[in-house]
Amino acid sequence: MSALQTREVRRAASKPKPAAPPRRQKPLRGNLWVGLLALPAIAFFVVFAYLPMVGLVVAFKEFNVADGVFGSPWNGLDNFRYFFSSGEAGRILLNTLLLNTLFLAATLGAGITLALMLNEIRGRFFKRVAQSTIFFPYFVSPIVISIILQVLLAGVGGSGGAVNDALAGFGLPTVDWYTQPGPWPWILTVVKVWQMGGYLSVIFLAAITSIPEEVYEAGSIDGASRAQMAWRITIPLLRPTAAVLLVLGVGRIFYGDFGTIYAIVGDNGTLFPTTDVIDTYVFRSLRQLGDFGTTAAVGLFQSVVGFILVTAAVLIQRKYAKESSVL
Amino acid sequence: MRKKKLEPFTIVSIVGVGFFMVLCVVPFWMIISGSFTAESKLATTGYSLIPQPFSTAAYEMIFTGPTVLEAYFASIFITVVGTAMSLAATSGIAWVIARRLPGISRPIAVFAYLPMLFSGGLVPLYLLVTQYLHLQNSYFAVILPLLVAPFLVFIQVSAFRQLPEAILESARIDGAGEWRIFFRIVLPLSKPILAVVGLFYAVHYWNEWFTALLFITDVHKYPLPLLLQNLIQNVSFSQMLPTTAGQSPPVYQLRLALTAVTIGPILLAYPFAQRYFVKGITLGATKG
Repeated sequence: MSALQTREVRRAASKPKPAAPPRRQKPLRGNLWVGLLALPAIAFFVVFAYLPMVGLVVAFKEFNVADGVFGSPWNGLDNFRYFFSSGEAGRILLNTLLLNTLFLAATLGAGITLALMLNEIRGRFFKRVAQSTIFFPYFVSPIVISIILQVLLAGVGGSGGAVNDALAGFGLPTVDWYTQPGPWPWILTVVKVWQMGGYLSVIFLAAITSIPEEVYEAGSIDGASRAQMAWRITIPLLRPTAAVLLVLGVGRIFYGDFGTIYAIVGDNGTLFPTTDVIDTYVFRSLRQLGDFGTTAAVGLFQSVVGFILVTAAVLIQRKYAKESSVL
Repeated sequence: MRKKKLEPFTIVSIVGVGFFMVLCVVPFWMIISGSFTAESKLATTGYSLIPQPFSTAAYEMIFTGPTVLEAYFASIFITVVGTAMSLAATSGIAWVIARRLPGISRPIAVFAYLPMLFSGGLVPLYLLVTQYLHLQNSYFAVILPLLVAPFLVFIQVSAFRQLPEAILESARIDGAGEWRIFFRIVLPLSKPILAVVGLFYAVHYWNEWFTALLFITDVHKYPLPLLLQNLIQNVSFSQMLPTTAGQSPPVYQLRLALTAVTIGPILLAYPFAQRYFVKGITLGATKG
């Protein structure tokens, strides 16, 4: 629609052309001149975003370094066949969907809960300190998170660990966490909540702040408690914002959070059954096996499915965004 | 609306937020405390809440040998140069989009946002950087693939659009050229948003280890997070670090000290910078 508008504006602008030709020329040249400011970023996008898209032809080739991307022989869909018949495809796709669903539900839930709770706090100083504190983990490198987890679960030297000490303190059996794949989806979910909870609470708090005060005044005149107001006024009014974030999250469900998962799990094969996702698989097969063709095929599959999901998400999000005060 | 009486939900909220705050603080305290605890204790318990017995052996090692200082230099270079380049590129394209120039702004906007929807993925990027650009073991291999974040372009466009048109118009009437307007008026008026966007880029570059992992193999060029990752994943790596008088290095303590050194700058800058981050997210989230 805006493209149409732009075109109309241009047509309108070109109409007085015969009347004042010299005036017409200057703004256009001026525009191109301003456009030059975008040149560095455009060069970046061409080289690092669009050239790699062309490079995806590797997915249909039997790549070898000597012949390069364009010289290597084609091999049709062999790379895709190889991946989907490897027996790992099902597990990896399932892990990706399962972990991301868990992360999405837990982080959104935590974000809303924290925002509601922060909103209850009246002391301005405490509120600011609290918000800064819970926001901090967002800025920490995944590598640091992985060290923290090691300290908590296994001890920095591979023996002891704070969690096991606590378990022992309550008379519970200790767990050798890094050899048990079972609990890892939950451990990673806790990590994600820890990492993203504060960030999301900032967004939700911004949405809460934009709710008009009168709504709460009406509630308080009707004798509603703070809890009732949170449950019956704030949460329903946050729904559009949550819907937007949810839809965007679902759109990105095919992209694992590579950084965090790889930093924590690394090449610890015992944990792969529950933690290996598309991104970590792609990375490992690239680094360890040097299998460019298959890896590119998996990447292409991920990009295509991801593109469909993200596009659908953006279209749905536009619908909800009209109702949401933020985003 | 305001009541003096504390309601149960308010109490639950204070306790809940307090609990989450503790969860956010304790792990960092464990890192810092552990980094000052003697190796002998760390080897048995694996963590420490009180730095007893106290020891600074790891820090002495870190700051006497070249390895960590080299990594510090790499991280600072990547962060400072990267942030400067990113800010320049992002402001430039954001201004062109924000101007709504007919026939220019819109195609450029689509061009910049499309990569958010579809990406070539890891393999083509890897081949591009290693086979065609030959950037292995260059700090720019870490900087360039992250140069422009479409999300931050988006934030900056919406900030630029809030600049008062009257000021720009009066500059135009006074005969200022477009570039002059951009450098002399737009950028100085946009200092707050430049701080927000710059901080996001800076944190990103400081923490970046994935591109470093892919493209940097020379130990002397490792940025801090990559050095840290190597130190976690293989103990023998610590042999690279200088030892004092033939003693075996305090590996565990070293891991924690290096972690502390990595988060240190963020931790120190955070109290001053955090309001910008909150502002940035709120701005990015609010409809422009």
